[in-house]
Amino acid sequence: MTIQQPTGVDGIAVAPGAESRPASAEFMMMEGVSKCFHGRKVLSCVDFTLHAGEIAVLIGKSGSGKSTLLRIIAGLTKPDKGDIDMMGERVVIEGEYEKAWRAARAKVGMIFQSYTLWPHMTVRQNLSLAPRKVLNESAAQITERAERALSEVGMAHHLNSRCTQLSGGERQRVAIARALMMRPKLLLCDEMTSALDPPVAAEVLSVITKLKEEEGIACMLVTHDMAFAAKAADRVAYFENGVIAEEGDPRKLLMDPETQGLRDFVAAVRF
Amino acid sequence: MGYKFDWGGISPSLPLLLQGLLLTIEISAIVIALSTVLGFPLAVARMSRHEIIRWPAQSYIEVFRCTPLLVQLLWVFYALPALLGITIPAVPSVCIALTANLTAFMAEIYRAGMQSVPVEQIEAAEMLRLNRYQILRNIVVPQAFRQQIPTILSLDISLFKDTSLVSALGVAELTFQGNILASQTYRPIEVFTTVALIYFVIAFPLTIITSMIEAKIIRSGTVGAPPSGSGRLRKLLPGSRPSIQVTPQPVGAGAIGGTT
Repeated sequence: MTIQQPTGVDGIAVAPGAESRPASAEFMMMEGVSKCFHGRKVLSCVDFTLHAGEIAVLIGKSGSGKSTLLRIIAGLTKPDKGDIDMMGERVVIEGEYEKAWRAARAKVGMIFQSYTLWPHMTVRQNLSLAPRKVLNESAAQITERAERALSEVGMAHHLNSRCTQLSGGERQRVAIARALMMRPKLLLCDEMTSALDPPVAAEVLSVITKLKEEEGIACMLVTHDMAFAAKAADRVAYFENGVIAEEGDPRKLLMDPETQGLRDFVAAVRF
Repeated sequence: MGYKFDWGGISPSLPLLLQGLLLTIEISAIVIALSTVLGFPLAVARMSRHEIIRWPAQSYIEVFRCTPLLVQLLWVFYALPALLGITIPAVPSVCIALTANLTAFMAEIYRAGMQSVPVEQIEAAEMLRLNRYQILRNIVVPQAFRQQIPTILSLDISLFKDTSLVSALGVAELTFQGNILASQTYRPIEVFTTVALIYFVIAFPLTIITSMIEAKIIRSGTVGAPPSGSGRLRKLLPGSRPSIQVTPQPVGAGAIGGTT
């Protein structure tokens, strides 16, 4: 079962519970996205809309399709069916990535569950490789931006550290800074705090909130941190068996779930 | 024990043995240099998505891995001149055969190294819009090569010892010179003990260096290792691993499409 987005002024979809939020343009909209792995349906006709500068949290049991959805948006997993619009352009038609996808993808960054910093490089090298090779920026420009990106994630004094010297939380913050170097408008975070202890996880997640408030960066997170979902998310989507079973304002959704699945899920993570 | 050792004949013959050693080192150096370079494109071909590229590379590797080195040496020495109609002197012939053999093994080491780089690191690079060449050049190869240096060095040490097989083709390297000397002095035990010592004196420091490099790589934090016993020399002996603190790593998300 998927929940259809209510339509607002000029046909722009408005997330349930978003009435209190300032109106913002759609950043990404997907319709009927499906994916099978070896005959097993992982996503089934999922519709989802993300607004610019919005934090959307995807929750649900393992195997419910959350990570696959992020990977499809990132272009790492090809959908079998469905359309995706990004920044007003149709970038995926019937499961096929269009030419416009390359430009749209430039605005998407992704943070993974495991630490994906390149361990043979320093923090500076991790941050500068892509801007140097892809954006052809000068060394001075890159250093200046790297310092700024690191200070945004509270790691300003680690520019010349080796990645292997960093703790788990520090590595994830550097991974966020590395993604910021490519000036994304959307950050996809796939269980990025699942390997961290709660205080460190809270620090990392606070960076996401700061990025939204200061830079207007939209974020889609797969997380099991319900405290973060309740506090910082603009919208929560609950996945069950490859569909969005429930979606809406986090306060309402988590306090008063409609479906039995979400009730059980919330009860299981609440203490 | 009735045998009486007589080392008197060895000292005057040392220059001959060292001359053989020089040729052994020359052959080893040429073969190692060529194989280290040629192994890389072969490994890339072996990992190609296109069967037309992958299958010949894989066939080449399997042929050289699954046939004895001595047979390969003999085949190149006798068959190539017959097939190509040109006479190849013994030293170039053994260099070709040894290079062909070592390249196959190098390719497999490179491939294993490249495939050991976590897929998430490559996906992170893709998300930063690095292209395939940039990912290979800046992320995969440096890590793969660095991680496989101890294995590559071990293979090089084996190659150095395996050059003794070329004595069967009359190439005047160390073992061949030892054979000549043994037949002249009728003192094979003393001669081959000396020959073995010469091989050992060259190979053992290299194994120590290999262990030191391995320890350095492990200390750098990219590879984990269990703690070993105390003692500096003991730690460096082949087969021992350095004692280090291993930082627990999180479990990765798995292969592409593996998580939902």
